[in-house]
Amino acid sequence: MAAFWWLLQKDLVTEFRARQSWPTMVLLGGVIAMVFGLQLDGLTETRQALAGTMLWIATFFAAMTGLDRSFALERQDGCWECLRSYPISSTTLYLAKFASQALALALLQVVLTPLFIVLCHVAWQAPWWATLLVAALGNVCLAAVGTMIGALTSGMKHSGGLLVAVALPLTVPVLLAAADATRLMSAGQCDSAWWRWTNLLAVFAAIYLSAGAVLFEFVVED
Amino acid sequence: MVSSRPALQAVDLSMRYSGRHVLRSVNFALAPGEIVALTGENGAGKTTLLRCLAWRTRPHTGDVYWHGEPAAHNGPGRAMVGLAAHETGLYPYLTARENLLFAARMHGLDQPSAKAAHWLSAAHMSACADQPAASLSKGTRQRLGLARALIHEPTILLLDEPFAGLDARSAAWLTDLLLNYRRQGRALCFSTHDLSVAHALGDRLIRLDRGCLQELPAHGARPSRAA
Repeated sequence: MAAFWWLLQKDLVTEFRARQSWPTMVLLGGVIAMVFGLQLDGLTETRQALAGTMLWIATFFAAMTGLDRSFALERQDGCWECLRSYPISSTTLYLAKFASQALALALLQVVLTPLFIVLCHVAWQAPWWATLLVAALGNVCLAAVGTMIGALTSGMKHSGGLLVAVALPLTVPVLLAAADATRLMSAGQCDSAWWRWTNLLAVFAAIYLSAGAVLFEFVVED
Repeated sequence: MVSSRPALQAVDLSMRYSGRHVLRSVNFALAPGEIVALTGENGAGKTTLLRCLAWRTRPHTGDVYWHGEPAAHNGPGRAMVGLAAHETGLYPYLTARENLLFAARMHGLDQPSAKAAHWLSAAHMSACADQPAASLSKGTRQRLGLARALIHEPTILLLDEPFAGLDARSAAWLTDLLLNYRRQGRALCFSTHDLSVAHALGDRLIRLDRGCLQELPAHGARPSRAA
């Protein structure tokens, strides 16, 4: 357990000093929000209906960009290989990388969600707990898949494109569920339909996180 | 000081990259308290052999044993081995002290701060302990990388061209360190292109040629296949 915290601390300190992943994520997400908001200027209803979808698409691409940069930083000067040589379990390594990525996504959404609300003129009626729940479950899914695929593709050529190409099919159900849950709750409809999408997100989060923890050992092996 | 039971043993190691044989049925043993110098031309497979011995790269065939235990990616046996590769494994945005502290914590060592301070002092790096690794000179980073690889005091030490890029003072420091390790009964294998260093430090010299390992008896006798 101690190794998990030291790994997480190392990732956070490195990111705080290097500022290579998080600013890029926020910038990319912000640009997508601005472009979307300006393109649909005047189409208020369409914008409001699509705001949730665009928020999650922006989160996905920003997450993949951040992950790619984070693993690229880890690959510098043989650091990743040294990390694998320490007597720590692959599960611990996976969970630490997952946690740092999930934190980055949470930070990203703290910026992106208000930005989408303002640019899309959404009258946000969702209760705070529902907002937190959907955001947390969606972030867990994206971070769980992204961490595993990021580790797999990070040593390869064109790792960024590969990461998106492999992660996107796996996260399509998550993006659909999160987008619909966001659309419903932003209209204040935390009803049975919303619960269905949220439950689906929870199931995917549990599956992806468990699969990542178990399979990471094989992913990082030579 | 040399014991009969090998600290490290490789049996029938073979490795291929893109259809080319890099290692061909290599058999190799390293006794406790022994220093073996590994030589060979560029691309002969020295780095691959050292990585296989450290089980960083899994060979296509063959086995490696550390003190009689099969090598494994995870598990307590990993602590027996230290590999200092070309790449230092240092995080550029962490300071020298933080890099060593992180390595000590990952190895689960007692008193990691004291260990880090000890190695900073031993590597003559106390003055630049709180500088980011990225701001250190190449030679200093190399010393720090060696300290990182040795901080858990492994009993089997594998070094890939450790003298390359070191100035005279750093090379003398490393020589003293390796000889001290030999006195402590640790097993060492290092690769080098410098035959004078190989002769000066190595109890045995071996040469990797087209994937085959040859033992070089002292002073240029005709090479023979290593046992």
